[in-house]
Amino acid sequence: MASTVAETHSEVVLKKKKVRRSEFYQGWKRFKKHRLAVIGLVWVVIFCLAGIIGPWVAPHDYRTGDFLAINQAPSWKYIFGTDNVGHDMFSQILYSIRSALIIAIGATLVSFIIGVILGLWAGLRGGIADMIIMRAVDFMMTLPGFLFALILVIMLGRGYLSLILAIGIPGWAGYARLIRSLVLSMRDSEMVEAARALGASQAHIARRYMLPNVIGSMGVALAFGIPGDLIQIAGLSIFGMGLQPPIPSFGNMIAQAGENILGFPWLLYFPAGIFAITLLSFLFVADGLQEAFSPKGGN
Amino acid sequence: MSEPLLSIENLQVKFSRSEDEVYAVNNVSFAIHENEALGIVGESGSGKSVTLMSSIGLIRENGKITSGKALFQGKDLLKLRPKQLEDIRGRDIGVVFQDPMTSLNPIMRIGDQIMEAMLTHQYASRKEAFNRTIQLLQEIGIPDPHSRFKSYPHEFSGGMRQRIMIAIALACEPQLLIADEPTTALDVTVQMQILALLQDLRRKRGMSVVIVTHDFGLATNFCDKIIVMYGGQIMEAASTDMFIREATHPYSIGLKASIIEVGNKGKEISPIPGAARTLTEAPTGCPFAERCPFKTERCLNEVPELRAFGIDHYIACHHAEEVASYAV
Amino acid sequence: MAILKFISKRIVQIIITLILVISVSYIMMYFSPGGFMNTSTMATALAPLQGQNPVLYQEVMEQFQSRYGLNLPLYQQILKYVWHELTFDFGNSMQNPSLSIMSQLQRTLPVSVILAFGSIILSVVVGVPLGIIAALKRNTWVDYLVSTVSLAGQAIPAFVLAVILVLLFGVVFQGILPITGWGRWDEAILPIICLSAANVGVVARYMRGSLIETLRSDFIRTAKAKGVKYWPMVMKHGVKNSLTAMITVIGPQFAFTVMGTIWVEQIFAIPGLGQVMQTAFTSFDFPLAITSVFLLGSMIMVMNLMVDIIYAIIDPRVKL
Repeated sequence: MASTVAETHSEVVLKKKKVRRSEFYQGWKRFKKHRLAVIGLVWVVIFCLAGIIGPWVAPHDYRTGDFLAINQAPSWKYIFGTDNVGHDMFSQILYSIRSALIIAIGATLVSFIIGVILGLWAGLRGGIADMIIMRAVDFMMTLPGFLFALILVIMLGRGYLSLILAIGIPGWAGYARLIRSLVLSMRDSEMVEAARALGASQAHIARRYMLPNVIGSMGVALAFGIPGDLIQIAGLSIFGMGLQPPIPSFGNMIAQAGENILGFPWLLYFPAGIFAITLLSFLFVADGLQEAFSPKGGN
Repeated sequence: MSEPLLSIENLQVKFSRSEDEVYAVNNVSFAIHENEALGIVGESGSGKSVTLMSSIGLIRENGKITSGKALFQGKDLLKLRPKQLEDIRGRDIGVVFQDPMTSLNPIMRIGDQIMEAMLTHQYASRKEAFNRTIQLLQEIGIPDPHSRFKSYPHEFSGGMRQRIMIAIALACEPQLLIADEPTTALDVTVQMQILALLQDLRRKRGMSVVIVTHDFGLATNFCDKIIVMYGGQIMEAASTDMFIREATHPYSIGLKASIIEVGNKGKEISPIPGAARTLTEAPTGCPFAERCPFKTERCLNEVPELRAFGIDHYIACHHAEEVASYAV
Repeated sequence: MAILKFISKRIVQIIITLILVISVSYIMMYFSPGGFMNTSTMATALAPLQGQNPVLYQEVMEQFQSRYGLNLPLYQQILKYVWHELTFDFGNSMQNPSLSIMSQLQRTLPVSVILAFGSIILSVVVGVPLGIIAALKRNTWVDYLVSTVSLAGQAIPAFVLAVILVLLFGVVFQGILPITGWGRWDEAILPIICLSAANVGVVARYMRGSLIETLRSDFIRTAKAKGVKYWPMVMKHGVKNSLTAMITVIGPQFAFTVMGTIWVEQIFAIPGLGQVMQTAFTSFDFPLAITSVFLLGSMIMVMNLMVDIIYAIIDPRVKL
């Protein structure tokens, strides 16, 4: 008797893995059909590469400006032009990509980790824990995260880690709600019931059966999370609460360009253009993922 | 016999799907006369509602009428422009659908939904339409019509909503009422009430009714004539009396055997073996052949024509005579 | 009467949320290292005085502490602050102690309210028709155009669009519309367009999806069976039902519009709540900062309440 149970168990697991692999393959095939999503993905990859190798390929240092060449229009030496203290805009942008990516990915991860922990807790425990967490979620969702981020920046300061935390901490609610609903929908499914009948512990159930099943939905949520955080970082800079200059950032560049836009419009073209294209690309990718991996997506 | 009210001739309807086409209705012809109740019986997917819905232009977007005629009062409905068809729908032909829970607009007062039919066709002035709506609500058995006029669909039960659907369909006193599975979504007791109401309204108004149903018993109780459809084709057509006595098509016999009747004690219910298939190619033989106990080579290779088989009795079966002798 | 009960229930909810917001902001600012909440900052600033005139130093410190209630235990400070905020007794700002916060708000808050509501009205007025067109012309170039433009509007944040518009109307279409300032009606046009772009996109996309879904529903078939003509069918049955489905999704989206005002005000140099907020945050003026957070939160929640009320009015199925 015992052996048959074990066999059934391993069979369930095997079947599961097979299904998952093919699901991802199917999803990828569906994703490839969305031309905009693929174009977006290409841009996102280029953007990330630029962020990684930026400091090595940047022709100029971001701190030192060339005082003999301030406010220059794009030329062979300064392909994106220079700003009012002679910074090479091209190098500035490369460094900005790096800082934007570090903070956006970091903050998204922070939100995600807090959200997963609280969501799992609420979903698995239920009862009072669930009630309190969901009340907190409602509270966080009523107000834009940016408001909390502003206050947190005051408390934490304007360094990399501070900004990651300031943007990341208020963003947990959406993830927690998603995870909780996934857990609840999974909790009563047959597979988990079988595992529970076998005497698996709650932690084991969570790790083995629930997490793999929710990867698709979470991937989509994360893909939407990163562009959202990119906007927040830039928004903080516009507000004068972002990364401390001279560390370059898109928000600072855009805000500065706004100040003397009529004289030196190229200071706007490149940062704003690249920033907008990047956001659009991330959104196309997230949209494509959603249509590829969530059954309700698409038309 | 007088000119028929609606006559469908050689109707053919196809649905295009992403990969292939579905031959939903193949070469169907029948007629309904004034003051007549016709039952079209068949399994789901037999093309019974598509036949009627396509003739009044209520077919899904991917559906296409490839040939045929639908003559209503001498006009071919299939040749009318959408606008002209709109004028006929709701005024001369009323429709009652299957699911009363979803067929009413959830955010519109039911009185307004009934009035809308009359106002659209300028059948009555606003005031007349209101009075007629109250009268209709009374007639279909909604108590306190003045206050219920202002209620929304979610405040009614399923049976009541179906009554309201009937009121909408009858608002302009149409000559023809098409009821597409009117009782399928309802409880058994409510089914009987709705049918009784329909029967009553039909007698009072002298209109023709087509009931599309999968419920063979319902059709025989309600209708004067019965058409049995399978695989997008008519298998057998006869007056109800004739049908009950002498149904001859193997499929009809199967249908009859698969229902429980009072007084049939001891007789076993025998389901028809196999399942209906979706046709993705033009039919080359009898659609029922696969499940038919009388199947021969000919059934697979030659589409049986609908032919006269007695007074008021038509059948599409190569071996009808044989089956008849067998049954008797 | 059910609606009054519903509204009063929601107002209680809003007040509880606001109490939480004020308390959380207060606590966070209290513990922030550079904040004025921290008497230590003040102490450092007054350090030279301590040596010269300890009595005066003591007096100034005490005056400072009692003025902002910093000599009380933390929980009492919070309670006091919450009470003051909820009764609109905002006190004076720290940077500019002679100026009452109320007088600053009287000038700036209406500006932000105009911007936020103007943009919401614009996004509905533009987004809904766009969504309807896209839904009715599904999978044609019109649809693709609307979808792409909507997505772009959603992706480009208000502050980027603001800078682009300033450039456009400052250089290319010079002189057509004013690009900075506040006071004339036409100075509101560009900021409102910036704020609306994202919402137009969201509204249009939801409207499209919702209408396509609605037009497939059974009651639309019933309307056709009644002989209802195309446009009455689309508008009376389709659009009206889609709107109810859409409103719930749109409500929270407008919260971001309110947030967006503070960015757009920066770029168009508009003297609104956003500028007050920026001064408050960058100069650690905590009474002003908390008050602006409080007001921003109130605006968002009042807006959500209005959405709920509209929803309840047009959808009879909603149980209040």
